[in-house]
Amino acid sequence: MRTIFSWLYLILAFGFIYLPVVVLVLYSFQESGLPVPPFDGPSLKWYDDVLRDSDVTDALTHSLLVAVGSSVVAVIFGFLAAYGLARYTFSGSPFIRLLLIAPLTVSYLIVGLGLLIVLTRVGLGLSLVTAGIGHVVINLPLAFAIIFASMNAKQENAERAARDLGATEMRVIFFVTVPMLMPAIAAAFFLSVTLSWDEFIISFLLTRFDITLPVEIWSMLRSGLSPRLNAIGSVVFLISVAVVLILEFTVLRKRHL
Amino acid sequence: MIGHEKKLGWGFTAPALVWTLAFFVAPFLVMIAMSFANLEGRTLIWGVHLDNYIELANRPYLLRAVAVSMQITFIVTLASVVLAYPLAAIIAFRVPQHWQRFVLLLAILPFWTSYVIRSYAWLLVLAREGLVNQTLIHLGIIAEPITLANSRFATVTGFIHFFVMLLTLTIYANLVQLSPNYRLAARDLGANTFQIFRHVILPLSLPGIVTGAFLTFVLCIGDYVTPHILGGNNELTMPQVVMVQLGRRADFPLASAMAIVMMGFVTIAYLASARWLRLDRL
Amino acid sequence: MTAAVQIDNLNHWFGSFQALKNISLEIDSGEYVTLLGPSGCGKTTLLSVLGGFLKPTEGNVHIGARDMTLLPPADRPTTTVFQDYALFPHMSLRDNVGFGLRMAGVDKLERHRRADEKLKMVGLVGDGSRRPHELSGGQRQRVALARALAVEPEVLLLDEPLGALDLKLRRTMQDELKVIQRQAGTTFVHVTHDQEEAMALADRIVVMNAGQIEDAGSPRQVYNQPATLFTANFMGEINQIPAQITNGQASTELGQLPATGIPNGEAILCIRPEALCDEGKGLDLMPAKVTDATFFGTYVRVLLISGDAGGLTLSAHLPPGDIPPIGDFIQLSVPTKALRFFPKYRT
Repeated sequence: MRTIFSWLYLILAFGFIYLPVVVLVLYSFQESGLPVPPFDGPSLKWYDDVLRDSDVTDALTHSLLVAVGSSVVAVIFGFLAAYGLARYTFSGSPFIRLLLIAPLTVSYLIVGLGLLIVLTRVGLGLSLVTAGIGHVVINLPLAFAIIFASMNAKQENAERAARDLGATEMRVIFFVTVPMLMPAIAAAFFLSVTLSWDEFIISFLLTRFDITLPVEIWSMLRSGLSPRLNAIGSVVFLISVAVVLILEFTVLRKRHL
Repeated sequence: MIGHEKKLGWGFTAPALVWTLAFFVAPFLVMIAMSFANLEGRTLIWGVHLDNYIELANRPYLLRAVAVSMQITFIVTLASVVLAYPLAAIIAFRVPQHWQRFVLLLAILPFWTSYVIRSYAWLLVLAREGLVNQTLIHLGIIAEPITLANSRFATVTGFIHFFVMLLTLTIYANLVQLSPNYRLAARDLGANTFQIFRHVILPLSLPGIVTGAFLTFVLCIGDYVTPHILGGNNELTMPQVVMVQLGRRADFPLASAMAIVMMGFVTIAYLASARWLRLDRL
Repeated sequence: MTAAVQIDNLNHWFGSFQALKNISLEIDSGEYVTLLGPSGCGKTTLLSVLGGFLKPTEGNVHIGARDMTLLPPADRPTTTVFQDYALFPHMSLRDNVGFGLRMAGVDKLERHRRADEKLKMVGLVGDGSRRPHELSGGQRQRVALARALAVEPEVLLLDEPLGALDLKLRRTMQDELKVIQRQAGTTFVHVTHDQEEAMALADRIVVMNAGQIEDAGSPRQVYNQPATLFTANFMGEINQIPAQITNGQASTELGQLPATGIPNGEAILCIRPEALCDEGKGLDLMPAKVTDATFFGTYVRVLLISGDAGGLTLSAHLPPGDIPPIGDFIQLSVPTKALRFFPKYRT
């Protein structure tokens, strides 16, 4: 009895979780111009339409650029900080750790607002670069936390052994630390990419002429429900899911080794 | 040698530290200063003025936004915990071990979508001609479409959808860490299923609940997209007010003051939950 | 490759805690030395100083003729076998063993040849492309040893290398370590808290306690003629009997015993259980009552109480013949040379 109830709840929960996703994807194949029942597809014409729209494809390229660029910076800085803080003790290091994590507890809106105020004061024009700067701010704490959490005595001992066998500091990092932490580094990278790819408010506040995909979608929303939006939404969702699945099946599966 | 060590440690940490100071701490401090500045016409006058905060306290629609945000955030946080806990528990205790990871992954997959797209998808479901209305009409439950979208109901639904997934993740992560022997020991000592849950499992899973609830609180109170797309213009939340001040009037001081008030609520939530928070375990 | 080690007046503090107190020690080239002591005695700290992982607060370390005190580990002719082996999990066995050679710029072919040679030396024949996680504890230990030896160090430092192995495997590995050391000719400095391991391996045992060297000598010497009461205790089971010395005579509960050259006053008499016998060899002691007797294969361990009421408990290892009945009185005796006196309360 209890088992039946459990399965029922599980099915209902999955129904709730997937309801909007299914509707989004299903009506992206709608034939007519309104993505509501009855379904009259399947048709690929909205995908065709969207992929011919240079505004959309440009925004898609911008999003990828910002996501990959900001994630690379966030992961490199995050790794270096984690290494420095885990391997060397110096006064103030607990405080620095807190400071690096702090942006995690602040709304993206506030991060974006603060940057907007400063950037406009300084006179730096808004662009994909400024959006990227904002994305590094929100992804750096995550990358740092993930990599720092997986640093332990095991790597430290291996690093010590490598030094003992004649490795210089740079070689210790490249031959021992980075390979041993690869699962965490890759996890941090893919997670950063997804978060940046999906991020709206910071991109919205900090870009002007070149915009990212979520901002493009936002501006298209003004004209109401449309299968075009369903098509773009499905593509964006698919790419996010692909990144998460790559992360799950390549990196996290091997993590126990 | 000690000096050298110190230098190396600082050297490795410097890029992240400089970035955080320049692009997070400094803007944040400027924003605080901005909240005490005044806008006269189009010129900004720095100083320590409380005008923005006084305005916040005296303008009914601003105060209303604070109330609306708090109400929505509380409802969403509570409902998400109540809905997510059974889901996390079922995955942790009922689903065969081998499948748990996969089921969990599946259960939180839509979590990895932009707020914008998720909210739009709910708009499709809840619209006047949307799936829910049409189904209800088809079944003969209602005669005319009812208003689902552009309401607080829609905002809350959109939020709950998102945060149920987040909380399922944090609660599940906590539940699987519990040794099965706790349950066996409690049963051995005569506890029934409810007593085991009430006295053993629930207290032990508190960190997972609180961590998830705190994140829900922070993300929910600060989100602009969901209430804007799903809630319509009947009532505004704090982030919406911030954006209105920015967009319509470029009133940075008032927007900053509102943002500081939002931060204040997050800080209170943090202090209230700090005891059980395990942000490092995520 | 091998070299002598000279340690002069080492002192080291961790904050206000003094981990090493005035350590001076000379280790001959090719010698197998074990640093033996309880946990916290400073033996691992001393090894870290030798390996270059720790700069001592005071004092010097010479290896060969060079002062190494301030050199980092990479620049020293020492390598370390770590307690947890610290194998690189993302590298094959061959790459693990060849790592030091790679750092020294040895080309790949030569590196692999020498790595395979070292793997063979430690008894790991077969597939060098396996990863560490595929190996058993004992096999990992061998890889760690091969890796440390591959760069042909002058001094090999071993930090509780057998600590993670079960007892039986540990005894097997001891024998192999000894063979490998003879083959390589390298100076070995081996830290352990297991006195049996120390005796099985060492040319010389250095007993440490509370940051100081208590005793140093061949296994036979530190066992039979310990320099201090601590060493006497740490090296194995021992009977401690309070004694009062007056002019070369010790009066104890076991009777009057010769104590030539021992200053007057209170002292502790130490006698190893196997030195006591019931066959009347050596000095006769007061009769003692048997309270327990247990068969241990090569000997019978007998517990006795000396005197009549609430006396001293003694332990004696007697030949595995007849087991004396409990309650019987036995006449024990001990050879004069087995008596060791220590001034009271210097532990």
